[in-house]
Amino acid sequence: MSDTPLDLWKLNLDESIYVKLRGARSLVGTLQAFDSHCNMVLSDCVETIYSLNSEGMLQNEERKSEMLFVRGDSVTLITTPDEE
Amino acid sequence: MSFFGFDPTAPQQSRPNQHQQQQQPLDFEDTYKGYGDYEPEDEDFLNDETFGNNVELGNNFDFGHSGQQQQPMHAMPQQGQPGHRSYVAAAASGTVQQSHMDVAGDLKPMESLWNPNAAPAPVSAPPAHAQPAEPRVLSMEEIERNQRQMQMQPQGYPPMQGYPMGPPPPHGNFMPPPGQNYPMMPQQGQGQPQQFQQMHPMFNQQGYMVPYPGNGPPPPTHRGPPQGHAQGPNQGPPQGPPQGPPQGPPQGPSPVQQQIPQQQHVPQHVPQQMPVQPSQVPGPAPVTAPAAPTGASAAIPQMARSSSSLSQSSNERETFNNHHQRQPHQRQPRNREPLTPEEQKRLEVRHAKVEKILKHSGLMTPRDKDFITRYQLSQIVTEDPYNEDFYFQVYKIIQRGGVVGESNKGLIARAYLEHSGHRLGGRYKRADIALQRMQSQVEKAVTVAKERPLRKQEKEQSRENSNNNGASSTGSVATTQGTDGRDGVLGKISSSLNSKAPRRQLQIPTSNKTLLNSLLVNDDHATASKPTNPDALMEVTESLGNVELNQKSRVRRRSSYAFTSVDQSSVLSRSGGRKFVLSLIETVYEEVLELEANLRSGKPIDNNQLWEALHINDEMYEVCPFISMLSFDKGVKIMPRIFNFLDKEQKLKLLQTFFSELSHLNIIIISSYKTNPEPTESQLKQIDVFQTVFLKIIVSFLSSSSNFIEIMGLLLHLIKNNNVSFISTSKIGLNLITVLISRAALIRQDTNRSNLLSSPEISTWNEIYDKLFTALESKLAAVFPPKEYIQKVGVVSQNGNPNNTTSQYYDQAYIWQFLASLALSGKLNHQRIIIDEVRDQIFGTINEAEQLKEQAKAPMDSNDDSMYRREKLYQDLNLFLNVMGLVSRDGEISELK
Repeated sequence: MSDTPLDLWKLNLDESIYVKLRGARSLVGTLQAFDSHCNMVLSDCVETIYSLNSEGMLQNEERKSEMLFVRGDSVTLITTPDEE
Repeated sequence: MSFFGFDPTAPQQSRPNQHQQQQQPLDFEDTYKGYGDYEPEDEDFLNDETFGNNVELGNNFDFGHSGQQQQPMHAMPQQGQPGHRSYVAAAASGTVQQSHMDVAGDLKPMESLWNPNAAPAPVSAPPAHAQPAEPRVLSMEEIERNQRQMQMQPQGYPPMQGYPMGPPPPHGNFMPPPGQNYPMMPQQGQGQPQQFQQMHPMFNQQGYMVPYPGNGPPPPTHRGPPQGHAQGPNQGPPQGPPQGPPQGPPQGPSPVQQQIPQQQHVPQHVPQQMPVQPSQVPGPAPVTAPAAPTGASAAIPQMARSSSSLSQSSNERETFNNHHQRQPHQRQPRNREPLTPEEQKRLEVRHAKVEKILKHSGLMTPRDKDFITRYQLSQIVTEDPYNEDFYFQVYKIIQRGGVVGESNKGLIARAYLEHSGHRLGGRYKRADIALQRMQSQVEKAVTVAKERPLRKQEKEQSRENSNNNGASSTGSVATTQGTDGRDGVLGKISSSLNSKAPRRQLQIPTSNKTLLNSLLVNDDHATASKPTNPDALMEVTESLGNVELNQKSRVRRRSSYAFTSVDQSSVLSRSGGRKFVLSLIETVYEEVLELEANLRSGKPIDNNQLWEALHINDEMYEVCPFISMLSFDKGVKIMPRIFNFLDKEQKLKLLQTFFSELSHLNIIIISSYKTNPEPTESQLKQIDVFQTVFLKIIVSFLSSSSNFIEIMGLLLHLIKNNNVSFISTSKIGLNLITVLISRAALIRQDTNRSNLLSSPEISTWNEIYDKLFTALESKLAAVFPPKEYIQKVGVVSQNGNPNNTTSQYYDQAYIWQFLASLALSGKLNHQRIIIDEVRDQIFGTINEAEQLKEQAKAPMDSNDDSMYRREKLYQDLNLFLNVMGLVSRDGEISELK
């Protein structure tokens, strides 16, 4: 059953995942649903937006959202979150 | 009955002796009690002379004529003057008996009286004396009549009845003269001299002493028992007139008294008259005036009567003729005739009454009565008269419910129920008292029995221990015991005695086998090395002492001791890896979804695939994959849906596995303050999820479908395969233990009522509890998480709930619940240990509550909150204290009322 990448992904349903998106954003949230286009729904999600400030220093901004729909065309990476 | 029959032919000298002996007051010991076994007395050789030597000995005394009473009752009405007649009859009773006795005793002294030759007897005694020499033989007919007469007598003369005696022949002779006097002068003072003037000569002649001159009727009674004395005074007819005639029937009790004297003087003819009476037409036959008691006039009625009676024998007629002089006494009562019917009726009633009263009167001496009374009184004195009087209560109802012919069974049955028959003690709810009494008695007996065979038990114990060391493969108690005794050959003898099971019972292994095998044997972890053991429970309970674990469980144990399970990834890796477990979960989801789809569409449900997906019996992994599944929230969340499709055995198996490997459960680790002193928000959430989802399943399973043995089995799995003291440091673990023991306690209480628990079950439970307690002992205080942990949890959860900033405190209720159920199942000494160990926590809680009270006094925002928390603290604490009959309020602990 765990033949396709999507099957592996499936194992992480209801688990916390890390998703890297275009535009220097990343998401950590609980996977609620997904499809073959990598569209997904995350819950208890923390979005981190990385940016460079005027001095050229990296800064990040966090946004929390209870439920989030991610369009699959922006997804570049999906993995399990780092253990804290 | 010829007891007192005299042989008239006997030498005269013997009589005085006899007489004097009997004048002495009789003693109970001498009369009744010593009957038959007295020591031979000096003059015993005279007995034959006295009583006749062909007298048949026997005890067929007819004291009260009880059996023959009916006859007079219907005979009387025919007479027309029943009352009157009966008085006469009563008067005659003594004499009837006498004559009867004579007949029976083959002494016929009285014949002299009706013997034609004896006619002058009344006048002079000497001739009478001569008479006995030529006794006349009574015909059978006469005898029968006499007997009938006896029956008709209203028992007017108790002494005579009580001690029927054949009057000595002389009586017949000398009686008539006093007889004439008697009616005229009742035993009033003035009368006596006369009597005795007349009587004395007679007595002297006969060699009799008159022992009691003061008493009216000495002649007949002087040989009798003391009753004669006692009744003498009563017998004095109160009707002053010495002439007696006024003795009308209406005079109530007096007739009875009058009868007594009458009897005495009319010894012989009355018997003969009596048979005649039934057929007689009462009429105005007695023409004689009451004032004419002389023989000549008295004869008239007698003659009339006798002639009218067809059945009368010529003998009797002769007798009448001869004795008409004595008739006046009989006639006197008749002088009142004729009576109106109602008068007669009244008389009848009265007569019946009197008869009833006198029926057995004089049967007992006053001493006898005293004795009986004392005895009865001693019986009456009771602490619980109601219960002891039970038969009286029923008797009363039988008496009361006396609609003739109608069955009062219903009433009796009701009485039984109301008084004591009912299980709840009937209407008066007295069961508790009786029950308490009985229980305390049983308890006493049991404690005594317990102390006695102590040595024996010790021996048994050591035997069992050695058994465990050597024979873990067989576990057979019987084989080892067989060598040194036959005890327990047929089965284990239960060692527990209590008031519920007061007798030692034989635990027959086969009866447990099926039950307990299903409990433990097919669980390889529990009884891994001996799955074929026929007596699983015994085996398990014995092995509790020296916990034997197979290789696998030892490994697990070590791992849980070393807290290697703390690292979730290591646990996962030992159960096939995270990916494997996650994929299992996905499979389970798929199976459940499919089954649910089947359920909706009404297709048959086959849970085999689901069961396999759960990997409950999977031995390939060190930690059961199922346990690892529960490390994931989704694994926990699917559980209720899985349970929907499992049958009872599968559920039980699942829970057995669960409790066996509790130490590996991630949730235990993260909920224990030891392994996870700083829980994260998500972990707390996880704990919460687990508690609301999985604990709920367990509780509902335990309370709905599990029985006592299953619960014991689960607890046993928990104790055997886990470090209980570690588990008890986690909130979830403690909750699980609480659920098990409180459920067991509930069932025990439930079944106590219907007595469903067998004693082996109870003793097994006690052993399991002891194991559990031993595991927890000295570590009980450790169930309380340290302050830092509490604060940490509080802070974390505060962070998690920003809206709820003030009222988030660590809820310790689960700890008190645990202690409460532990104490509830334990015995007194267990409770003592528990209190000892958690004393600091108890007082700490009380202090905290009092501090909150202080806070509440201060005007603060959290005023209400402080009060609420204080209440909560006391509530939780009292949950535990109440089990031991204590309660804490306002900083003090007192006894629960």
